[in-house]
Amino acid sequence: MKSNPHNPMTSNSAPRGNSSPVEETLRLVASLPAPAGLGDRVHAALRAAPRRGRVLVWPRALSPESSWMRAAAAAAIVFVVAGGGWGVYTRVQHGQPAKVIVMPPRLPATGGFSGAGAVRAPQTLPGPAVTQPPKASPAQPKRSKKPAARLNSPGTGGNQPAASGKTAPQPATSK
Amino acid sequence: MSTSQAIYAGWMEIPTSAVNDETRLRAEDEALAALVDQYAGALYRVAYSVLRNPADAEDAVQEAFLRVLRHRHSLGEVRDHRVWLIRIVWNIVLDRKRRAKTRPETDDVAELSRVLPSTGLSAEEIAAAAQHHAHVLGCVDRLPAKERQVLMLSAFEELTSVEIAEVLGITESSVRSRLFRARNLMAGLLDHERSLR
Repeated sequence: MKSNPHNPMTSNSAPRGNSSPVEETLRLVASLPAPAGLGDRVHAALRAAPRRGRVLVWPRALSPESSWMRAAAAAAIVFVVAGGGWGVYTRVQHGQPAKVIVMPPRLPATGGFSGAGAVRAPQTLPGPAVTQPPKASPAQPKRSKKPAARLNSPGTGGNQPAASGKTAPQPATSK
Repeated sequence: MSTSQAIYAGWMEIPTSAVNDETRLRAEDEALAALVDQYAGALYRVAYSVLRNPADAEDAVQEAFLRVLRHRHSLGEVRDHRVWLIRIVWNIVLDRKRRAKTRPETDDVAELSRVLPSTGLSAEEIAAAAQHHAHVLGCVDRLPAKERQVLMLSAFEELTSVEIAEVLGITESSVRSRLFRARNLMAGLLDHERSLR
């Protein structure tokens, strides 16, 4: 076998060391002849291999490689997608309340206990009692808030009754 | 010719592209057959150096050419068919080796004694030589994968370091450095084995 000067094992630049028996063995294994009839068996295997055949031959005008065929296919895809979207859009009616499914009223179970028309009133806590302050009468003037002793003072005439506690406004005629 | 006849003829005629396809397929088949005739032996040796079993190596070669058949359309784009084919079969045998169970060393010895050339040697000498080679190959198997692959591929006289680098997908300097490391490791392994005896 001719030696290849560019082979790293046969070139002198690489160190050899103690690996000559290794190289001898590897070279021996690498130089083993191929078994007889290998090529024929490979040929037979290639002939027996299933090949992907064409069932139909596209006419040249309709071949998938033609540019206008690609453009037509792309346009068809766009048309189908846009048409589908438009169809969905037109079927959805905007501005109307959503349809609500009304549940049927629950019928009382026959043969069971009945509530006898009782309505359950939840027991809530009694709220705080707020006392309303007494309202003053609108006709009473502000002066009535003054103590009554001043009105019933001696010297102003004790002939007026003061038992009711209510004093009417009097004009100042004494001066 | 009327329009309908023209359309009908356009649909039914055998287009020239079909004729071209058939011609192209025939050319590809012929190219593939030429590749088989030219490189089946080399691919077998590469496969056998890893698998060390003639039947497995032949299966690997057939699988490699079946892969080529599947991608025969891209045959024209391949720059170097030999390196390309070796790379294919190399990947196949590494995959098979990874998946295969570890065989006992005695199988290798028996296989080597049957396969190795034995002209002018007695039966004892053949057995001793086969045992020696099996022992060396066992040491090779103990190398790290990167170093082992470079060492095994470098045993092929047909492959340059550039082509080995192309098969393994590394640079040429990496090939040389890995080969250097592999030789050192092998020397250490063999010395260790010798000292144990």
